[in-house]
Amino acid sequence: MRSLLIIAMKDLRLLIRDRFGIFWVLAFPLMMALFFGAIFSSGSENRAAMRIIAVDKASTAESSQFIAQLDRSSALDIQTSGEDSARMLVRTGKAVAYIIIHPGFGSMENMFGGSDTTLTIGMDPSRSAEVGYLQGLVMEAWFSLIQERLFDPARSQKYLTDFIDQLDNDTIMDKRQRSVLTDFLGDLRQFMGQVDSGALADTSAGVDENRFVMGPRVRTEEVTRKRIGPRSSWEITFPQALMWALIGCTAAFAISIVTEKTRGTLIRLRLAPITRVHLLGGKGLACFLFSITVCTGLLLFAKIVFGISTPDLLMLALAVLACGVCFTGLMMLISVLGKTEQAVGGAGWAIMLILSMTGGGMVPLMFMPDWMVTLSHISPVKWGILALEGAIWRGFNYDEMILPLSILCGVGIVSFAVGAVVFRRVHG
Amino acid sequence: MRTNTMIQVENLTKRFGDLTAVDAVSFNIERGESYGFLGPNGAGKSTTINMLAGVLEPDSGEIVINGASDPTRSEVRRILGIAPQALALYEELNAEENLFFFGKLYGLCGKSLKERIELTLDLVGLTERRRDRVKTFSGGMQRRLNLACGMVHDPQVLLLDEPTVGVDPQSRNLIFEKVAQLKSEGRTILYTTHYMEEAERLCDRVAIIDHGHILAVDTVENLITAHGGPSIVKAQLAGPPADPSVLPGELNGLSLAVESNEPMAVLADLNSSGVRFVTMQIERPNLETVFLNLTGRKLRDQ
Repeated sequence: MRSLLIIAMKDLRLLIRDRFGIFWVLAFPLMMALFFGAIFSSGSENRAAMRIIAVDKASTAESSQFIAQLDRSSALDIQTSGEDSARMLVRTGKAVAYIIIHPGFGSMENMFGGSDTTLTIGMDPSRSAEVGYLQGLVMEAWFSLIQERLFDPARSQKYLTDFIDQLDNDTIMDKRQRSVLTDFLGDLRQFMGQVDSGALADTSAGVDENRFVMGPRVRTEEVTRKRIGPRSSWEITFPQALMWALIGCTAAFAISIVTEKTRGTLIRLRLAPITRVHLLGGKGLACFLFSITVCTGLLLFAKIVFGISTPDLLMLALAVLACGVCFTGLMMLISVLGKTEQAVGGAGWAIMLILSMTGGGMVPLMFMPDWMVTLSHISPVKWGILALEGAIWRGFNYDEMILPLSILCGVGIVSFAVGAVVFRRVHG
Repeated sequence: MRTNTMIQVENLTKRFGDLTAVDAVSFNIERGESYGFLGPNGAGKSTTINMLAGVLEPDSGEIVINGASDPTRSEVRRILGIAPQALALYEELNAEENLFFFGKLYGLCGKSLKERIELTLDLVGLTERRRDRVKTFSGGMQRRLNLACGMVHDPQVLLLDEPTVGVDPQSRNLIFEKVAQLKSEGRTILYTTHYMEEAERLCDRVAIIDHGHILAVDTVENLITAHGGPSIVKAQLAGPPADPSVLPGELNGLSLAVESNEPMAVLADLNSSGVRFVTMQIERPNLETVFLNLTGRKLRDQ
């Protein structure tokens, strides 16, 4: 183990002193993550109107008007649905919130502060900022409705007559209060019959048309969302960046094995009282340690700067370790594909680019056609990304993690063994 | 096997395809002896060293080092130090870090490792440049460090494969001095070279090797005596001799050349001949002429 560590430490020191190598291992993947993350995140801002599900249980002209009013906002994408379906859509993250319009919505009683709930807004509590914005839009739509109704004298007279009739038949309200309200509404009906509708609609005179009315009675309820997608584009691009970092490590250490031969130091290493296992093991250990260190560094950066976190740190650690095992094995295999640094470097990057392209390291698999997704199964990059995403945002449990982790470790062990056998044959 | 023998090689053979690089080579090296392999490039010197070091596996033959027949065994490797012909250094590390790494591989640590590093750096004259990266070193300094890396673990046997190739005269002289010092400390040295001066200066015995065969082995003096041929006495006459027949050898104008195994006697005869000479010199045969006589080729005419 001592010899293993000595060789590993030497290789790590050599890599750290190679600034160009460090660029490909650390800076390049980070740049990829930031670049594509920024592109995806800015794209989503332009694209996304908030999807709101309207549940119209009132089924009145007013409720339809209200929904239409909300839909006029470019910030909202209003769809109608049943109550259960609406809850499901919010729970699964396919909609930001739902609005239930209760029976009685639009009646004069509710308009003037009746006791019944008129609207229920169901929301994902983690998106409170968006829901706050939604509540503002709901109030705007509500007041637009009131304004439209009151400032049309013909319609308002009808509503007032209906409301006075309701008051006459009301047995619950206090007699004196009912009398005052009936008188007031009677006077108002008379007033609305005499005024010019154009003048009423003109709000430029500085009259606050909303001061006589109250807002709707709104109840909010929280819908705990089952997370099935990434919270941000960074959660997609950082697992990809980790793959690029691992690819960089793989190429750098694969070349370092050939460099030992071309620079003559392999003779010294083989002459030293260490076994071939120590020699290759030391190389592998250096590659493994550097890989997981770089991955950890990138994940820490992602957490601090972009708030990317994992619900299960152990699971993420397992994913990183499995990726390290896999790419260390690939490093050993690639190192025997050529006799010169140029040959190994060229072959290494070519193979890694293909694995990365097919495995979603460049373009996320979700944007690829079905046949490419099927093809991606052969790429360890796909399984690496899947394991990392599983731990970060896919919400995998340990049973679901077994497959990607097993494939990664299996590929790593088999590749290392094949590489070691070929190395032994080539170098005696 | 004699107890004083450090390295014993019997019928060592190595082929690369159709080429037989080393063909049934046998030799012994005594403890504390400095043994030279003199031959042109491609003669089989490095291949033999690599087999001794256990880096190459021979096709046939036997190697016994310090009584052990397998050079890849750990206890054999610990007593071997090598300075390969190609520089075997990590250029991104500094001199001290290179020595530190190789020393640790041989099990040195702590104070003993530090002492060995100090000693070795001092031996090759690189103490002041110890913290400089190897890539900033001159060719000669890299050669010296290459030698140091093979010695850091204090080996009993040193395999030096053309350690002065491509170095400046100053570094070359320093390497000569240090090899002589190592020899005086009682280390066994196998030194390959195609420079006859190095073999003559540093080696107790020299093996003349060509095309994978050892053609002759002995001390430099004995090799010259046995294979060097006569010395040549060369003289420049002051003027045309009155009677050329009194002069031995070949007269060409005013230049006289006399081949003889007794050059001092020839000088005495010329001195008493009555002829006036401007200059006189003796050209003794050397390893170059030994090689020429044994192979029909010069050491460096390839």
